[in-house]
Amino acid sequence: MKVKAIFTRIRKDWVIYLMLLPALIYFVTFHVVPLIGMKLAFQDYRIIGDNEWVGMKHFEVLFSSPAFFDVLKNTIIISTMKMVFFFPIPIILSLLIIEVRNGRFRKYVQSVVYLPHFLSWVVIAGIWISLLNPADGGVNVIRNFFQLPSLDFMTSKDHIRWVLVFSEMWRSAGWDSIIYLAAIMKISPSLYEAARIDGATNLQQMRYITLPELTGTIVTVFILNLGFFMNAGFDQVFNLMNDSVLSVIDILDTYVYRIGILNGQYAYATAASLFKGLIGVILVLGTHFISKRLTGKGVW
Amino acid sequence: MKKIFVLFIAMLLTFSLVACKDKATVKEDEKDGKTTIRVVYKDEGPSNPVAQAYFSNLEKALKEDEKIDVKFELVEVPQGNYAEKLNLMLFSGDIPDMIYFQGGDQQIAEQDLLEDLTPYIEKSKHIKNILQPYNEKRLNNYPYLLWIKPLDSKTPVVRGDWFNQLSSSKELMENPTIDNYYKFFKELVASAPGGGKPANAVTVAGDITELDFIFEMAFGINQTWLKKEDGTYEYSKASNKEKEKLTFYNKLYNEGLLDPQYLTKQWDTKEKAFYDGETGVIVGTSGKVIDIYNGKMTQVNGEEAELVVLPPAKGESQGFAPTDITKEPRGIAISSQSKHKETVFQILDYLASPKGQMLDRLGFEKEHYNITDGQIELTQKYYNEWYAKFFEPSDFETEKPLKTPLLSEPAMKSQELAKEYYAEDNSFIIPEEYVSKWDAMENLYKEYATDIITGKRPVDDFEKFVKEWNAAGGEELTKYANENIK
Repeated sequence: MKVKAIFTRIRKDWVIYLMLLPALIYFVTFHVVPLIGMKLAFQDYRIIGDNEWVGMKHFEVLFSSPAFFDVLKNTIIISTMKMVFFFPIPIILSLLIIEVRNGRFRKYVQSVVYLPHFLSWVVIAGIWISLLNPADGGVNVIRNFFQLPSLDFMTSKDHIRWVLVFSEMWRSAGWDSIIYLAAIMKISPSLYEAARIDGATNLQQMRYITLPELTGTIVTVFILNLGFFMNAGFDQVFNLMNDSVLSVIDILDTYVYRIGILNGQYAYATAASLFKGLIGVILVLGTHFISKRLTGKGVW
Repeated sequence: MKKIFVLFIAMLLTFSLVACKDKATVKEDEKDGKTTIRVVYKDEGPSNPVAQAYFSNLEKALKEDEKIDVKFELVEVPQGNYAEKLNLMLFSGDIPDMIYFQGGDQQIAEQDLLEDLTPYIEKSKHIKNILQPYNEKRLNNYPYLLWIKPLDSKTPVVRGDWFNQLSSSKELMENPTIDNYYKFFKELVASAPGGGKPANAVTVAGDITELDFIFEMAFGINQTWLKKEDGTYEYSKASNKEKEKLTFYNKLYNEGLLDPQYLTKQWDTKEKAFYDGETGVIVGTSGKVIDIYNGKMTQVNGEEAELVVLPPAKGESQGFAPTDITKEPRGIAISSQSKHKETVFQILDYLASPKGQMLDRLGFEKEHYNITDGQIELTQKYYNEWYAKFFEPSDFETEKPLKTPLLSEPAMKSQELAKEYYAEDNSFIIPEEYVSKWDAMENLYKEYATDIITGKRPVDDFEKFVKEWNAAGGEELTKYANENIK
C-alpha cells in the first residue's frame, strides 16, 4: 500500500523526480558502485588473473607501521583544529553578510569572499608562501611595523598547522556561508517585524531569532562535516608541505598517497581509506544519535 | 519500502557486474592490414599535434626504411602526476604495447607485465651498439626498461658575466675545494656583481638533494652504503661524513649564502630566482636542461650572461654524486601481453639506427631544421622546443654536417663533466616489506637534516637522529645491506 502511495506521488510530481534523476545516477555510479571495490582491502590485486584473498594482511601492515600512528595523530589534530576554529566562521560570516543593508555592496562582499573557493590549492599555496615570506611577505611586514621579529611560518613546526587552518578559512569560509545565508533567507520576516515592534535591537534579533532558526542547519552541517573528519585536506597539505614540517603535517591521505598510490600498492591504500571511511561513518552516526537525544535534531 | 530497497540493491548488483567485467584488455590490433601499436608516453598523447606528426613521420619512415607497416595509436594520460595516472591506467587492465615509465614501473614488472628485454637486445642491430656501461649494468639488474641517454647527473651553473667579475672564480675552477667554493659563494654575495644582486649564492628546489650534487662526494659520501674500516657497510646519511656535510650546509645557511627560502622553492621559482639575479648558482640536469637554462638566461640578460658550468667540489673524493645502477629511473618498456612484442622492439631498434636518430634527434625538416648548402641548419624552434623522445647516444653523427651544434657550449660542457666524474653507486632496490619503514626513515632524515641546516636543532642532535633512524628500521636495513651488497 505504502509502495503504491510512493509511486502515485512520483507519477504526480514526475517532472521533479526527473530533475532528481541525474543526481541520483551520479551518486549511484560514482559513490555507491565503487563501494564494491572495498573488497580490494582484503585482497592482493592482480592485473592479470584473479585477485588473491589475503584477509586482514593489509590492515596488519597498516597498523604495525610506526609512521601510521604519527600520521593518524596529525590527521586528528589538524581536523580537530579545523573543526573548532573554522566551523563557526561561515556562520558568523553569513550573519555579518546579512546585516549589510546596501544590496549592491552585499553582492560585492559575497563575490569577494566566494572567490578564493575557485582557486586551486597550487595557486593558494603560492599566494600564502609569498604572504608569509619572512623577508618581504605581507604578514611579516606588518609584524616588523609593530617592532615584532619576522617569523618563518612555513617552516615552523609551531605555526604550520595554524597556516593550514587559516588558509582553509580564507579559501572556504565564503563558500561555506552560502548554505547558512540560504537558511537565513528562509526565516519568516514576520518574526523580525514582531521583534522590531517589541523594540529588539539588531543584535537581539540575531541572538533570539536568527541563531535559533539556524540551529537545525548548523547541526546537520556539523554532523555531515564529521563524516569527512579524517580528510584533513590532501591537496592543501600536499602543496604547503616542506621537509621542515613533515612530522607535524604529514596526514593519513599524504601517507597513503606516497605508500599506496605512488608505490602502486592499491590494496594497502584501499585498506587505509576503508579505515578512514569507517571512522567517518561512526562519527556521523554517533553524533546524529547523540544530537537527536539532546536537541531532538539530527540529519534525519 | 522494502520492495524499493530490494529493487535498489538489484540495480546496484547489476551495476557492479558491469563495473567488474573486463579486467585486462588487449585492444585489437589490425587496421587496414597495418599492425596497430598502442603507445603511452608522457605529454605525447593524441591531443598533442607535435606528437601526432612525430609518430606519423615515424610510421612513414618505418615503412620506407624497414618495411614495417604499423599504425601508432597514442594513448591519452590524464593531466597530473604521470607515474600515478599511468599506473592507475595499467592497473585497470589497459596495457598498451609500448609504455614509457617515469617511476612506478617496478610494481608492474612484479606482476610479470613487462617483457624481459635481454634477448631482444642481444639480437638487435643497433641498440646493443649504443648502450653505455651504466645502461648495461642497469639492464643486468632490471631488464625491463630501456633508456639510452647521457648521464643525468646534475651540475651547478652560474652566469658568465658575474663569474668573470669575481677574483675567486679562477681559483675555484683550478682547485674546487670546499673552501674555495665557500670563498666563491662569499664573494658572489659580498661583491654583488648584479648591482645589489644576488641576494644569496645558491638556491635549490625544496630540499638539499641538488646541493648534494656539488658537495656530497667531497665529504667522502661517494656511495649510498659506505664501507667502514672493518669491512661492514653503514648508511651514508647516518654516518659522520653526513654530519660534517650538514655542519657545512648550516654554515652556508647561517651566513645567507644558501637561500633562506630554499625549503619553499619549487623548480619554477628556483629558476625565476636565477634569471632575475636573486640567486647566483643553481643546479640542473646536465645536457638539455642546462641548454634550456642557458637559452633563457641569455634571452633575459644578454649573450654575456652565457652560463659557466662549475666543477664538483673536491675533497675526500670528487664527483656529481654516485650514479644509481640498480635500474633505469625511467624508460621504455614493452608489455608482456602485447601481441607485437617483436615489432615494438624493431621500432625501438630502428630509432637507435642513424636514420631513426635523424628523425628523433632533429625533429621535422623545414620546421626544426633546414638543409642548406649540404649542411643541417637547426632553427630556433629546435633549440626552444625539440627534444629526443627516445634515445640520445653520445656519439651520434648526422648524415650531413651540422652548421650549429645540437647543444649549446655550457650544455655540452655539463655532459662532459658528468661523464668525467662518473662513479657507480652501491644502492639497491628497497624490498617491498621495508617500503613503509623506509618512508618513515627517509622522512626522519629529511626533518633532522633540515632542522640542523636551518639551525632549529644543534648539530649534535645528529647522534639523536642516528639512534632514532636505527630504531625506525635502520638497523634492520643495514643488516640487509651488509648481507646483500657484494
